[in-house]
Amino acid sequence: MESVRQAIDLLSVFVIPTLLVGFPLYGLYRRVPVYEEFVVGAKEGFNVAVRIIPYLVAILFAIGMFRASGAMDFLVDGLRPLLSAVGIPPEVFPMMIIRPLTGSGSAAIVLDLIQQFGEDSIIVKIAATMFGSTETTFYVLAVYFGSVGVRKTRHAVPAGLAADFVALVLAVYVVQWLFG
Amino acid sequence: MLNYIWAGLIGFSLLFAMTADVRDLANDTYRNGEPVELALGFPEGWDPDRRLVPVTVTVAPSGFAAFYGTDGRGPGPLDGTLLQTADGREIRFAKDVALPEPLATIRSVTSKRDNDLRGRLTGFIAAGDSAATAHVEFNPVRFVKLQAIAQAALSMAETAVTLALGLIGVLALWMGMLQIAEKSGLLYSLVRFTQPVLRPLFPDIPKDHPALGFIALNLTANMLGLGNAATPLGLKAMESLQELNPEKETATNPMIMLLAMNTASVQVVPPVLLVAIMGLAINQLFFSILIVTAVSLAVAILAAKGLGRLKRFRDTDPNRTPAPATETESE
Repeated sequence: MESVRQAIDLLSVFVIPTLLVGFPLYGLYRRVPVYEEFVVGAKEGFNVAVRIIPYLVAILFAIGMFRASGAMDFLVDGLRPLLSAVGIPPEVFPMMIIRPLTGSGSAAIVLDLIQQFGEDSIIVKIAATMFGSTETTFYVLAVYFGSVGVRKTRHAVPAGLAADFVALVLAVYVVQWLFG
Repeated sequence: MLNYIWAGLIGFSLLFAMTADVRDLANDTYRNGEPVELALGFPEGWDPDRRLVPVTVTVAPSGFAAFYGTDGRGPGPLDGTLLQTADGREIRFAKDVALPEPLATIRSVTSKRDNDLRGRLTGFIAAGDSAATAHVEFNPVRFVKLQAIAQAALSMAETAVTLALGLIGVLALWMGMLQIAEKSGLLYSLVRFTQPVLRPLFPDIPKDHPALGFIALNLTANMLGLGNAATPLGLKAMESLQELNPEKETATNPMIMLLAMNTASVQVVPPVLLVAIMGLAINQLFFSILIVTAVSLAVAILAAKGLGRLKRFRDTDPNRTPAPATETESE
């Protein structure tokens, strides 16, 4: 299993250089005016970045306010008995709330837990697994839908949050099972 | 759904902030307007007439926890400066010195720019050459959380723009590359190669459509932990899906599937940021992350498919038949 891992790690190093060199060379071979086409495509980059701004502002400012309001303390205090009853350590609970909302915020929580408990503690392992196995759902939502101007998101939010919820809860049990 | 979550975040921020502030007022957390006792220590040979004197300060030497009603112990002697003018004396704690609560909050609210806690001294009594006692009064601190949420909203709005503009370079690079891939026919080979796996997940995309190629690239980049490349590839996929969308403001089923798969983040290689934080300890977590991410991907796919079958979401599907009549629900 360890060699599979190393192979994957190695592969991930080669992917980007291969694509960046491979696309233009293959284009040249197929007699595509590669420079001209690259510039045509690249022009879109600026427009996409500008198009997502309103969506990102909307999402991030609401999340920023929620974080700054101290809501986390209330939630953790209120749900502590329930969490301990199902075997979730209350220390990782802020991570479960923050993870779909902000990437930098959840990274800060992992760092903070490392300071408190050390890298080898089960708490940090749970939090890091949560971080590594999910994405910042609301950020992805704002960027992806923002880039094409989609405002009516239908069932995208519930589907994304369902996946997050399962991942966040499962991380607790999987880490306890592997390392507990 | 997003409308409610968004409004909920904002509404609850106000509610929680108000509750916290009222609780602070009721508990008198910051002891506004009540002078706290200080013990000052002077360096040898200090000149009592000098304007600025370096000092060491002990806050509430006779019981910090009792005065502020906290559990923590008071700080030891802290570095600071005594400012003596004709108008009176002022104590300035050293910049960025580690302070316990609630002093840290008092500092962050009253001295945003310099991050040095200041207070007016009263009842200054010198005791010999190297010590003195006094009382200090800090500026009153009220509605900390209300100020904090306003501040957070403004700074996050700025962050959003920084984030978006920071993407321009990488976006341009990959969008240029993908343009070449499309024109050279490379993308279509990829489409043919991956569509047996992807078409069942994205049945609404026509056979041999380039969107499938972009999706394949996006998912691969994600899997390999290449977040920087994955986003532009995913956005190119969205653009391609949008061309198939008859109702430009509403998400189609393939868009939602792509989004769900991205938020579940199929990560075989852990993201760069986590590797940076965890260092070598990340190696132990390879399998736990793999198991969790695989299950959450399965849940994402099932949820995107399953929820799409519900009547309210079938009715808003841009590709529904018969063709859309009027604007219906705004969700």
